[in-house]
Amino acid sequence: MKIKIIIASIVIVAAIIFGAISFVETNVEYTDFHTAATSHKKVQVKGAWVKDKESLFDAATSQFVFYMKDDFGREEKVVYDGAKPNNFEIANAVVVKGRYHDGYFHASEILTKCPSKYEADGETVKKTL
Amino acid sequence: MLGSIFVRCAFVSLLVSSGAYYYTFRTQSAQSIQLARYCYQFTAALVMAFCATLIYLILTHQYQYTYVWNYSSSDLPTPLLISTFYAGQEGSFSLWALYTTIIGVILMQYTSKKQYEVEVMLVWSLILSFLLLMLIVKNPFTLIWDSFPKDLLHTGPIPADVSSFIWIDKAKGMWAQFPIEGKGLNPLLQNYWMVIHPQILFTGFSSMAVPFTFALAGLLRRDYQGWVKIAKPWTVFGAAVLGTGIILGGYWAYETLGWGGYWGWDPVENSSLLPWLVCVSSIHTMMAQRRSGTFVRTNFTLSILCFIMVLYSTFLTRSGVLGETSVHSFVDPGMWAYWLLLGVIVVFTCIGFGLLLRRTKEMPRVPVEHSIFSREFALFLGAFTICFAAAFITIGTSSPIITNIIKGHAAAVDTAYYVKTTLPLGIVIAILAGIGQLLWWKTSNTRDLLKSLLYPLFSSLLFAGGLIYYGVRDIPIVIFSGASAFALFVNVLVGYRIFVGNPKYAGGAIAHIGIALLFLGFVASARYDDKQTVSLEQGKPTEILRGFTLTYLGNHALDAERYGFNVEVQHGSEAYTVMPVMRYSSFTNSMMRHPDILNMYTKDFYISPLSVESPDDKVQRTVTFIKGEIKELNAMKVTFVDFDFSDMEKGKMVAGANFSIGVILEVSNGDKTERIKPLMNNTGGSISYVPAKPTGSSIEFTIVKLQPNREDPTQSRVDIEINDPSSISKEPKVETLVVEASVKPYINLVWMGTVTLILGFVLTIIRRVQEAKDKQ
Repeated sequence: MKIKIIIASIVIVAAIIFGAISFVETNVEYTDFHTAATSHKKVQVKGAWVKDKESLFDAATSQFVFYMKDDFGREEKVVYDGAKPNNFEIANAVVVKGRYHDGYFHASEILTKCPSKYEADGETVKKTL
Repeated sequence: MLGSIFVRCAFVSLLVSSGAYYYTFRTQSAQSIQLARYCYQFTAALVMAFCATLIYLILTHQYQYTYVWNYSSSDLPTPLLISTFYAGQEGSFSLWALYTTIIGVILMQYTSKKQYEVEVMLVWSLILSFLLLMLIVKNPFTLIWDSFPKDLLHTGPIPADVSSFIWIDKAKGMWAQFPIEGKGLNPLLQNYWMVIHPQILFTGFSSMAVPFTFALAGLLRRDYQGWVKIAKPWTVFGAAVLGTGIILGGYWAYETLGWGGYWGWDPVENSSLLPWLVCVSSIHTMMAQRRSGTFVRTNFTLSILCFIMVLYSTFLTRSGVLGETSVHSFVDPGMWAYWLLLGVIVVFTCIGFGLLLRRTKEMPRVPVEHSIFSREFALFLGAFTICFAAAFITIGTSSPIITNIIKGHAAAVDTAYYVKTTLPLGIVIAILAGIGQLLWWKTSNTRDLLKSLLYPLFSSLLFAGGLIYYGVRDIPIVIFSGASAFALFVNVLVGYRIFVGNPKYAGGAIAHIGIALLFLGFVASARYDDKQTVSLEQGKPTEILRGFTLTYLGNHALDAERYGFNVEVQHGSEAYTVMPVMRYSSFTNSMMRHPDILNMYTKDFYISPLSVESPDDKVQRTVTFIKGEIKELNAMKVTFVDFDFSDMEKGKMVAGANFSIGVILEVSNGDKTERIKPLMNNTGGSISYVPAKPTGSSIEFTIVKLQPNREDPTQSRVDIEINDPSSISKEPKVETLVVEASVKPYINLVWMGTVTLILGFVLTIIRRVQEAKDKQ
């Protein structure tokens, strides 16, 4: 009986350690462009699309390029592996996930935040009067 | 107004019902149980009236209600119009409450025959009262001028052009204007999935509370064995329905969202998976308890935990606590709803586990009679492993909360976390799903076991060897696939034998065949999918991955917003035409892409439109230059030499006067080399850019962004936009469609596995219902 308990506890402890290591390894921190540029780790940065600067889909490399300003006002070029995401135009915030290198932020994922999809404001209601 | 009255009355009536049930529980009075029943039935009628009111308002387009205005519009077809009932948070809580109410009515019938009614309905009415309280806090009958008083409430005379208005207070001259058209339903939700998927999901979600109620009833009655028998069919029913809901959600995403997958480990997906996993694990230990009376405490714990997971998941996805860390926008429902959701978790955890702790001392200890080589032990290990998976997923999904507490700011885990942690557990589950079927209750004869293991083990090793032979080098994946194949072979053999004897008893084996097929399908379709982004010039066949050739034929408008793009797909000797769709939605003011899927026996060909490049688009691109680096662009060599920012200009900048900064570029065009200088002018704080052209060329260079590096000037960068207006005429006048094409091998295994799994569940439910009926 005792041996069973010991084996079981070893398995559980090993699983917990394994889980904890995976958790720390894959945690993608929320940060700003400054930290992203210095750490070169995979991070998430929230910011706003700089609409008056050029944004384009480069068909040759299949990448979408745009400029984004983070919450601290730092502006960076973002290169995303893919097309312009759905809802990109109306997003009031953009979250890019990826690494900073060679002078731009290379995003593997983009999340668009569109509260307007769900929460209407006075302006929207006026349009439907 | 009427709706709010209905839900408040329903709440009061439900409180009376639970009070009467409690009184009956204490005194066994026959009168009070009648009162309790009537009150519950009255509650049910009121909840239905409440839902009917909302449906009526939606169908008659009463846009003076914020909820109706926010999610529906007059142009929606009736099925979709009805589905806007649960398009928002208030409505989906209403749906949850409705199904909980209906299940309660059935539960009352079922339990009254089994002498379990009083305790079960006591707990059930407590659960329902939480949902009704939630509807009182957040009800869908808010009037629109209360939501937007600034825009809609007016005093004074009514202008002639206002047609839709209502007097609020005629004496004070106060009136409100209301909309005549709704905002409409999010186009992403406008398909038949919206009509069926939430219904099934919420039926499943509501039934997750049934095992909890039975467990608590068992504790209250000190019946530690009997409750399992009557709870069992409900537990399997919950798992079957919620499982169907989850996979339908996955298929919905796969078919319409265009990102190419069916599962993204998103909090919303995880939150329905978690209760399901706990529920499935409890099916296993309940089975063991039914057979040999063991795992009494385990079954109480798991049944309680299953419902706590439902509440916790609801909290995660509905309270706004995950905030920025997910694709889904989580609306902050307000402080009241937040604390109510959190409070309910605490209350039910305390009730559930508190009662369990109080009773645990007096529970009879069932001596362990089974050996390690017994079915009981395999079932326990299986349940334990599934729970471990649920624990890992819970931790991953709660990551923003955990990191917020530890580090002070929220961070989500990458999806790699889930794959990494669940893969080893998946291997264990697959092996147990095979071995468990070969073991006998109490103990197994080692020789018999080895004999029955021989063929499946040999075949699965052969299968794994074959994978390695065909180039699979990822060892954990080989092990996982081998283990899944093992589970498949064993369950097919065992299942066939049982099925020939009595088909009703084959539910377990069939469900496990489904799981094994699902596992194999996951590996093949998600791990070995091939993806490629290609630009297709109109009319020109382009060869892409795995022997597919695509030809873009052209596009045509499907309606005011949607464009279909015809693409011919050639594979071997077969040719097909697919039509992915792009939609410019005026609702979300953005582009949406709908994929098209070519379903073949062994693979899916998935094509998702990315963009259309018209020939008259400006040819321009932005290039980042590092100081001194030579870049080759359109047969030119361009070097970023330095910034031109003289001391005089610096002085102007410091003094706050107008100034300009230049970028010196050296452009070498074969034999000729020259320096050009695009400028950035700052005139009174407003920035303008002056492009520069090399002589004799039409190409313009414009500054986009200056990135001087003060610590290391050699690392300074600049972003330059390069624009060639002359190249437009040179380009042929054809459109280019950019698509993402992917091949998903054996994805049919996933759908087949699901159907098989559900079939197994249904057979098990039939068997358990009969069992619960037989031995009353």
